Amino acid sequence: MIRETRSVCPVCLANIPAVLDQRPDGSVVMTKTCPQHGTWETTVWRGRLPFSRWISGTAPLAGSEGLHCPEACGLCSEHVQGSCCVVLEVTERCNLRCRFCFADAGKNSEPPLTELLDAVQNIAHTASRPMLQLSGGEPTLRNDLPDLIRAAREAGIPYVQVNTNGIRLAQEPDLAQALADAGLNFVFLQFDGTDDRIYRTLRGRSMLEIKEKAIANSGAAGLGVTLVPTVVPGVNLRILGDIVKYAADRSPVVRGVHFQPVSYFGRVPENGPVSPEHCTMDELLASLCEQTGLVFTDFVPSRCDHPLCGFHGSFIAEKGLLIPLTHGNAAPRTMITAGENREFVAKHWLRQNTELKAENASVHTPEQYTAASCRAVNHPLRLPMENSDVTDMDVFLRKVRSQSFTVSCMPFQDAMNLDAERLRNCSLHVYRKGKLVPLCAEYLTPVDPAGRKEEQQ
Amino acid sequence: MAEFVSYEDILCSRCRVRMELARADFTYLGHNFHTEVMRCPKCGAVYIPEELAEGKIADAETALEDK
Repeated sequence: MIRETRSVCPVCLANIPAVLDQRPDGSVVMTKTCPQHGTWETTVWRGRLPFSRWISGTAPLAGSEGLHCPEACGLCSEHVQGSCCVVLEVTERCNLRCRFCFADAGKNSEPPLTELLDAVQNIAHTASRPMLQLSGGEPTLRNDLPDLIRAAREAGIPYVQVNTNGIRLAQEPDLAQALADAGLNFVFLQFDGTDDRIYRTLRGRSMLEIKEKAIANSGAAGLGVTLVPTVVPGVNLRILGDIVKYAADRSPVVRGVHFQPVSYFGRVPENGPVSPEHCTMDELLASLCEQTGLVFTDFVPSRCDHPLCGFHGSFIAEKGLLIPLTHGNAAPRTMITAGENREFVAKHWLRQNTELKAENASVHTPEQYTAASCRAVNHPLRLPMENSDVTDMDVFLRKVRSQSFTVSCMPFQDAMNLDAERLRNCSLHVYRKGKLVPLCAEYLTPVDPAGRKEEQQ
Repeated sequence: MAEFVSYEDILCSRCRVRMELARADFTYLGHNFHTEVMRCPKCGAVYIPEELAEGKIADAETALEDK
């Protein structure tokens, strides 16, 4: 046994004890028993990397801790991390009907602007001064979104990002400029692959051309874009390299890729060809390295959240290749505050140089983003620094400001693998009626035992 | 008003000879960089002015540090 922790029964969501056991193949399995609904096992690590080393420096729960997770979330005295990013749902409306949606969006309601303005004021006064992510539903469906962004910045929120599928950004070129003028800093663009078959599987329609136009329009407005793939085993786990290559080719408009392995909460398919298995973070990282030539030491575990809740690597994007800057072995892991993490993220995604707007606008046009040009590439992307011109300190400083690029991952938890030890370190919080709730607690959804018998022992 | 001193006027304090521009290599967190600094052609001592130490070098270190 590696650790004892607390989790929930996947059916009734009652808080129950759980253990993490390492198997001979290096994989790690969470086992838990609900008196009413039986014993459940789920693989949380597949053994592609040494588990103990990855989580080193992280304190396990004491026996008296985590007993009220997650029903008391909001945040309680046992929570050890502040808010780095606060998610504010600005609408439940959506112009897609995705098979996977953690917010289960697609309803017609949305809060009035006055309610959101109050929320923004409350978030701005959070001690850690978090960045704000406007989410939904599809937030760009609100015509008053620029007003909300402007109010957030005026309230003192340092960075505002919008979490979008890109449809309106693509269809209305003036929208990106309006959002930028209001003070938007980053676009978090849902982006699942470079092949429309993936979008038809996950989103119900072809979308690659829309993504390309959304990126181009954002770039023309001076907005940086981070691509956010939902990674689903059997759908797009094998094409992570294509996504990173696509993103690196579009630097500096595209600032990075933020992988989110699928979690089973909100709306998930009841039946269908999509595997119910989790894509563990080590599996994702190993696949990413195999497909790109990047190596494990180009990445480090999250130091703000629990190490099982994320990894990241910093790079300079150079002519479609990636020069690694992160040294996974350079320093022991120590925790940082949510505020330090916020500034780290901003440093990599924000550009101070206003001249970049012109540079962005001239780099690519939508016509250059044809599906044929980016399909099925599996290029080695790694360019060691010593083989580039950035060993010259002046060149390095110039390019690290203008061509900074991140590859990161955040696996959310669901009712199968929820771990209170991870939850109490969470810095990604949803604003809900005056409370800040860890995202995985807020969207926790019970499984249907009839549909998930393959995982019940 | 501070008196402007050109790098070309800097003398090695030990050898009393004019320092020259030369390449210097730096290593930080496993990465190697080079930049030009003033070096004594006789004893090899280098002069790193404050604006280099607190400017470029500090900026490079910050860029490489993982948070």
